[in-house]
Amino acid sequence: MIWAAELRRAVRSGRAIVLLGLYSMFSALVLLVVGFVTRELQAQVNAKLAESGGDSEMATQAAEQMRQGVLGFLASNDAAMMEALAKVPIVVLIVFKITLFFLPAYIALMGFDQVSGEVGPRSMRYLTVRARRSSVLLGKFLSQATLLVGLVLVIDLAIFVYARILNDDFAFATLVLNLLKFWSATIVFSLAYVALTTLCSSLFRSPAVSLVFNFILLFVFWLMDSVGRAVSEENLLRFLRFLSPSYYSANLLHPKLAEFAVSGAAYAAFAAVFLFGAYGVLRARDL
Amino acid sequence: MSDLAIQLTNVSKHFGPKVAVNKVNFQVQKGDVFGLIGPNGAGKTTTFSMMCGYLFPSEGSLQVMGVSPSTPGALKGRVGALPQDAVLPPGWEVGALLMYWARLSDLTQPEHEARGALEKVGLMEAWKVQTQALSHGMAKRAAMAQALMGRPPLVLLDEPTAGLDPRIAAQVRQVIKDMKGTQTVVVSSHNLQELEELCDAAAILDKGSLAQAGTMSELTGQGAEFRVQIARGDVIIPEITSLTGVTDARMEGPDVLRVRFDGQAHKAEEVISRTVGHLLQHQVLILGVSRGRRLEDRVLQLL
Ligand SMILES: Nc1ncnc2c1ncn2[C@@H]1O[C@H](COP(=O)(O)OP(=O)(O)O)[C@@H](O)[C@H]1O
Ligand SMILES: [Mg+2]
Repeated sequence: MIWAAELRRAVRSGRAIVLLGLYSMFSALVLLVVGFVTRELQAQVNAKLAESGGDSEMATQAAEQMRQGVLGFLASNDAAMMEALAKVPIVVLIVFKITLFFLPAYIALMGFDQVSGEVGPRSMRYLTVRARRSSVLLGKFLSQATLLVGLVLVIDLAIFVYARILNDDFAFATLVLNLLKFWSATIVFSLAYVALTTLCSSLFRSPAVSLVFNFILLFVFWLMDSVGRAVSEENLLRFLRFLSPSYYSANLLHPKLAEFAVSGAAYAAFAAVFLFGAYGVLRARDL
Repeated sequence: MSDLAIQLTNVSKHFGPKVAVNKVNFQVQKGDVFGLIGPNGAGKTTTFSMMCGYLFPSEGSLQVMGVSPSTPGALKGRVGALPQDAVLPPGWEVGALLMYWARLSDLTQPEHEARGALEKVGLMEAWKVQTQALSHGMAKRAAMAQALMGRPPLVLLDEPTAGLDPRIAAQVRQVIKDMKGTQTVVVSSHNLQELEELCDAAAILDKGSLAQAGTMSELTGQGAEFRVQIARGDVIIPEITSLTGVTDARMEGPDVLRVRFDGQAHKAEEVISRTVGHLLQHQVLILGVSRGRRLEDRVLQLL
């Protein structure tokens, strides 16, 4: 019930729509830039080959090599994943990666005041004589999550449609299959971050502080992931990366169910930890 | 079930070093209108907030309608609350918001309840108005309306008439009077005249501590003293003091005689008649007699 009411209010308030606009503009920009860069690269490679008198077969080979290289980078050189993703236009993959990177920030902007915005001005007090604090929290979380599921679908759909227009060889069946795959991957990924935002929002009375804290946490997670990957295998710091949600994003598109399940489970665990944390905080605090 | 709607046992609340409520004990009988009295910062709102489960007491324990308010979901359907300083959530129309809350409280006819409650506080015209567009007084009444929905057995109202114009304030008082007997109401106010008119019992708080709690007649000394307004003539105090039942008599100012008596052993009407008869015999002319003292005087005397 809280879920439905909050959802209606969130949709009405228009913030989600504005953010969706911004986010799709951002995605479009990335799409254009990436598209432009790949085309330029392709053209340069072609030109070089033409100079050295190579034939068209060599050109396609070089292009294929480049494609494999990028794919290998994106799929962490996992053969099975590379194969599965080979049918998807490379542009889509790159844009997907980049938007995934910024999605947590988007989630934070969308939901930073879900709880703090009600605790600060105390409007929460009207709710807690009618519903448990846990129900209020869950309702807020679910409404944010639902909103996000819809928004992500819109964006993913737009990207795929764009890719389809550009590449005619992108078959319709593959498109739908991959769209579903990317969509579910994004949802699994983002639920943990929605929960994180709920937690940050529960920690503070002031929405602004919870937003800043949320961004700081995102940065810390990114840092832990990066440092964990960068240091040598003997260094104890390498375990840091396992504590960061973003570490598990690589396998979300994995074709093997087991790999996907491990990643998914990791995100579910993060979401659960954040949500329970939020409940613990809200349960104990004065409103 | 006991007859107590609310029971506070040694309740304290600290905000850091600040002691907002200090070892307070009092009880509210079911069916009473109960007043919480005290100057600004006395701890009324803090006490209310603990009764509603918004704040957890630092020490001591509370029972509200037989449950602890800090138990999750325990107050649902039992309590209607008008919190002080709680802003109505923006982005809602008043009617829709009340219906949503009514549904959250599991009321069977949300729209009927919401309309009924708004009508009681005279705010029907605001049904379609956005909450953030309400004036202070209207927002307060809308908040009061949500506390009334579903006729909960206990209604907690924190300064319901503060900031309302006199006509509306009178309407709100009437709403409270109408609940007397069937619902328990706890109400706080600075307006002591108003509380004296409304309440069956009250607790007087000062700087977080309980100064006195009891029924209104205990607080105002209804059964233990009266005043006589003298128009003309000389009052001989020792003669009054020697009348049966009278324990103390003195002049308050040039023309007010205050008499205390033993209210347990003697009926008020007998002592008053005896005193007035004595005065008349001695050629003292009387303008009026009033029983007890104003709540205001009692409070000013305590604080
Ligand atoms: N959240 C809080 N943090 C710190 N002090 C508080 C808080 N709430 C209330 N107080 C203090 O507790 C005292 C009692 O406040 P309150 O219960 O609001 O008084 P009243 O409602 O009787 O005017 C005041 O001195 C106030 O400053
Ligand atoms: Mg107050």
